[in-house]
Amino acid sequence: MKTKPKVLVLKADGTNCDEELAFAFKLAGGAPKIVHINDLRTKKEKLKEYNILAIPGGFSYGDDIVSGKILAVELTSFFSEELKKFIERKNTLTIGICNGFQVLVRTGILPFDTIGKMQATLTNNDSGHFECRWINLKIEPNSKCAFFNNETMKQFNNDYISLQVAHGEGKFFADNITINAIEKSNLVVLRYVDAEGKPTQNYPDNPNGSLNAIAGITDNSGRVLGLMPHPERFIFREQHPNWRRSQNLKPQGLPIFENMIKYIRSKKYE
Amino acid sequence: MIYEIRVGEKYKDLKGDALLHETNSSGLNGIKKILTSRVYRLEGITKNEAQILKDNLLCENITQVSSLNRPLITNASHVIEIGYMPGVMNPEVASIIKAAYDLGINLIAADSSIAYGLFGKVDKKIINEITQKLYNKTVERIITQKPKTFVIKGKTGKTSVINLREMNDDELNELSKDKLFLNLLEMKTIQEYFKKIKRDPTDCEIETIAQTWSEHSGHKTFKAKLLVDGKDKKPLIERLKQEALKHKNNIVSAFIDNSGVMDFYDGWAISGKGETHNSPSAIEPYGGAMTGSGGVFRDIVGTGQGGKTIISTDIFCLAKPNLPFLKLPPGCLHPRYVLKQVIKGVKDYGNRMGIPTNNGSIHFHDDFRAKPTVLVGAYGITPKKYAQKGKPKKEDIIVSIGGRIGRDGIHGATFSSGEMTERTITVNSQAVQIGNAIEEKRTFDAILEARDKNLIRAIQDCGGGGLSSAIGEMGQDTGVRVHLKNALLKYQGLSPWEIWLSESQERMVLAIPKSKLSKFKKVCKKYNVEISVLGNFDGSKKLQVYYGKEKVCVLDMKFLHHGLPQREMTATRPSITLSEAKDLDSSASLRMTLPKTQKEWIQILNKVLSHGNICSKEPIVRLYDHTVQGTSDLQPFSGELGDGPNDAAVIRPLLDKPYGMVVAHGINPILNRIDPYWGSIWAATEAISNYAAVGGDYKNASLINNYVWPFPDEESLWSLDKSVDAVCDFMKALKIPVISGKDSLSSTYRGHDGTFIKIPEVLCISVFGKIPDVTKTVSSDFKKSGSTILIVGKPDLENMGGSVYLDAVLNNRSMKQWSNIPNVDLKLLPKTLNTIYKGIQAGKILSCHDISEGGMITTIFEMCVGGDCGANISLDVILSKAKNLRSDYFLFNETAGCFIVEVENEKVAKKIFKNIPYFIVGKTEKEKNITVKQKDKTLFKERVEELRKVWQEPMTQIFS
Repeated sequence: MKTKPKVLVLKADGTNCDEELAFAFKLAGGAPKIVHINDLRTKKEKLKEYNILAIPGGFSYGDDIVSGKILAVELTSFFSEELKKFIERKNTLTIGICNGFQVLVRTGILPFDTIGKMQATLTNNDSGHFECRWINLKIEPNSKCAFFNNETMKQFNNDYISLQVAHGEGKFFADNITINAIEKSNLVVLRYVDAEGKPTQNYPDNPNGSLNAIAGITDNSGRVLGLMPHPERFIFREQHPNWRRSQNLKPQGLPIFENMIKYIRSKKYE
Repeated sequence: MIYEIRVGEKYKDLKGDALLHETNSSGLNGIKKILTSRVYRLEGITKNEAQILKDNLLCENITQVSSLNRPLITNASHVIEIGYMPGVMNPEVASIIKAAYDLGINLIAADSSIAYGLFGKVDKKIINEITQKLYNKTVERIITQKPKTFVIKGKTGKTSVINLREMNDDELNELSKDKLFLNLLEMKTIQEYFKKIKRDPTDCEIETIAQTWSEHSGHKTFKAKLLVDGKDKKPLIERLKQEALKHKNNIVSAFIDNSGVMDFYDGWAISGKGETHNSPSAIEPYGGAMTGSGGVFRDIVGTGQGGKTIISTDIFCLAKPNLPFLKLPPGCLHPRYVLKQVIKGVKDYGNRMGIPTNNGSIHFHDDFRAKPTVLVGAYGITPKKYAQKGKPKKEDIIVSIGGRIGRDGIHGATFSSGEMTERTITVNSQAVQIGNAIEEKRTFDAILEARDKNLIRAIQDCGGGGLSSAIGEMGQDTGVRVHLKNALLKYQGLSPWEIWLSESQERMVLAIPKSKLSKFKKVCKKYNVEISVLGNFDGSKKLQVYYGKEKVCVLDMKFLHHGLPQREMTATRPSITLSEAKDLDSSASLRMTLPKTQKEWIQILNKVLSHGNICSKEPIVRLYDHTVQGTSDLQPFSGELGDGPNDAAVIRPLLDKPYGMVVAHGINPILNRIDPYWGSIWAATEAISNYAAVGGDYKNASLINNYVWPFPDEESLWSLDKSVDAVCDFMKALKIPVISGKDSLSSTYRGHDGTFIKIPEVLCISVFGKIPDVTKTVSSDFKKSGSTILIVGKPDLENMGGSVYLDAVLNNRSMKQWSNIPNVDLKLLPKTLNTIYKGIQAGKILSCHDISEGGMITTIFEMCVGGDCGANISLDVILSKAKNLRSDYFLFNETAGCFIVEVENEKVAKKIFKNIPYFIVGKTEKEKNITVKQKDKTLFKERVEELRKVWQEPMTQIFS
């Protein structure tokens, strides 16, 4: 395929990880464009013309009321149908990182694609404060995620990957029934783990107290991923604080974007 | 009517728990439980609409409970509800109104507040104390009943004429006091001007002149003719500029724009600025720190035709957090509260802006109890073609964009030029605003897009003095005509002079060429940024301001900008001379005995490592997003466990290029007080050493100097003069320029009861520069065991004045007793810096950390923390060179410009450092102990793990 997969990096007031996210997609072989939500509202830009929807981190509308809420309300008020159609299309992918994950959960897209109805939430960290630190994550080998699963693990010679979290409201929470449904359907993609690579509830390895150490989930289609850690901040080895201590260190966030691009390319051929 | 929606937590009430914890730990007993709820009050909607907003916007059933028009916290012994005062902007309200609108509901107005329900035994005393903890009277209030409306109505105030021409000296002084902060000569100059033009001034005119001529905007002391100890000296600013411009290789723009700009690579330029926000932070630390951050970010975007802010730094000086309440001067806030609040302010603003806060420091001395120093820095990048300060042309349009104008933020410039008194907190509370980061963020987004479309001619911020300073300054060559009625207001009822003077961090004024206005408006619309077209640059050489048809201000630009009489000021050496103090030194040092046992050594080391200036600041740094933008290639902490501190920030501003930008700073108020010249040299040396330790090339560095000084009486002016001399000598020695700076000369406190405190003199030198390749940088953590540790540089081992060691051992005795502070060999310094740079470039230096507060042993300890390893130190080499040297002096000496370096082995050391002084002090070890030996004797041996605990404890206790 000659043309690069088109990535819509959504921007609203207070979005602030848009440029590095667009860059990550570019590095991975995509054609990203940062699109302001007002340009979608005026129809200057159309979601359906893109292959990937990426909702970046930041503090959309100041994260007022609760994080991601105002943007989620805006999306469900004006783009419910468009989003639904986009997600149902088999040759699209959607990713929400940090604030983007909070938005996906609050629109109801994650975990069960019930746009307009929330089933789970990302709430205040148990520590009660914002936290910026490096944490270890296990990729669930059997998750439904179409682009980040068993295959992905083979790229790493390690049992877990390191990424950075930077959030105050990242505790994944839902009632028991919902959590069980999520687990049963293999929707959990990433979990916070301790030094031994085991999922943990202990601070700070689990930086926010997420239930079942959940750091990222997908939907039933496997084509939507929401995660609290920031893969776009580890696309060069030098972005890791200890790159000077390890010659073989590889950027562990970049493969997520590369796999997304690879996925889109494979679907285009089909 | 107003609907009340209350939202509480179903499971964990983190806010309530945190407050309960703090209450219990401060010794207030009796409270069993605290529950909180958010209270939203919504005006102008139906009950049905209120229900919709409750269920779809304000409450999430998964974790929350809510109520409509009835209390949510029931059976509490007492409920305290805290909200913003009317007229203080609540940043959340705009979002609530927007989201409601998206849901098809039109709110007229809204407000939000927090209710705290106290359960258990509570009496009046407890309620009182908790209330004090919860709110700041300056901007908040206790809400006891439902307000009738949030719509603030009012008639536009009248412009009044002040009968200035007939005032006598007393009346002129009275007019100036608490409001204008001008001296009698300046007041008389204004009087003369109006006598000459044969009319009296309007309030607006007087206010405009006062803010333009304020110390904050006019820098009168730095421009003054000086008589120092009987000798004439050139004005401070002239000396700085003269020396700086001798070293202009990299300068793109210095001293003329909102930040200093230097060359980067491939047609890009980088900029830097430091700014203090001490006065507002003293009375409302949260808002003060927020608006301080907002202000300095805006200085970057307000440079040239617009810059992108890419780093934020924060530096605080405060009294020790355990200061007894009795020692707090009237009208001052407790340092523990101030510390927590300023950090919260920096965090909330910087994180929301998406600007990494990745460099900073905190310094404690009890003389900061009357007023903290809150110094925020910002750095940016911009295409070189847009990096020169813009000049408006005749016919260009004046637009204001961003936050609306309100009554908060009036008199900031003049107020911050005054001394702090116990009245400050009540009289000047209007000058404090609550920042709205998202407003600033979208405004910046719009500016950067407009810049790239080449729509902007010139840009200025609405900081100190609001529109008056922004437009007044931009129009000083052409003249302007302004129509205040076009300005967008938060609410009605402001007088024209208030509209003209009100400041906001989130508002910018731009000069837009007429032909580009409609394109510019489109960009603003896309980003939800409001715009007011205020007038134009008209060639009249006059400042003409109208409200409707009413003339509210007509001044000659020449008088406004050049009418301020140059001050003539006298500086005199303080009465206690250094040599007198030196006599005290020797007697004091006699009383200090060397630690005798291992236990004594370890006790002292613990005291030093837990000292406020030394202890780990990691719990604070983790509250800041220090890696957003994805640019950070050397983070504040690194190492095996991620807890070893680094000396500077290294970022890659252009993600697709390997070019690096290095940012660091140096500051030591204690040394400045003892010896303003060598203290200032120390600060500058510390800054450049931090910069070099990570791999920065000092030849491609630029400096920023910030002076925070007491009110310039003769003695303080004397020390300021010495400090400026030091900065000039430093530039000369290293052949690099200062390209930006700021002064704040109001660090004095006067109490009603006669309390008079001169807050320590603060010179902060920040440094930023460029390197071609970010991969050629090092961190401070030891990389392996068995490598060689050496000291590079020439420590001034005799001089211990102002050190943390003495403060810890002598329990904070008078600083004057120890006047012999370490001197830096300025001839050697450039050679040392260059050798370190080359060693890092060649990949021969495995790790490097500069010696600073706490001395060599602290530096080695921090490197062991990062490496999660140990070190075996021997004093033999150094003691063989200096026979009478005290071992404690050697371990704790704080000479700046010296480094601890890790290299593979002694051979490598010899090769790299053959041309500069260095000596080997030991080896790294796998075993996690720090061992210090002298001959065959072990002075002490302690586990790194134990020391780490001691070092991490103080800030962990405050911040988690």
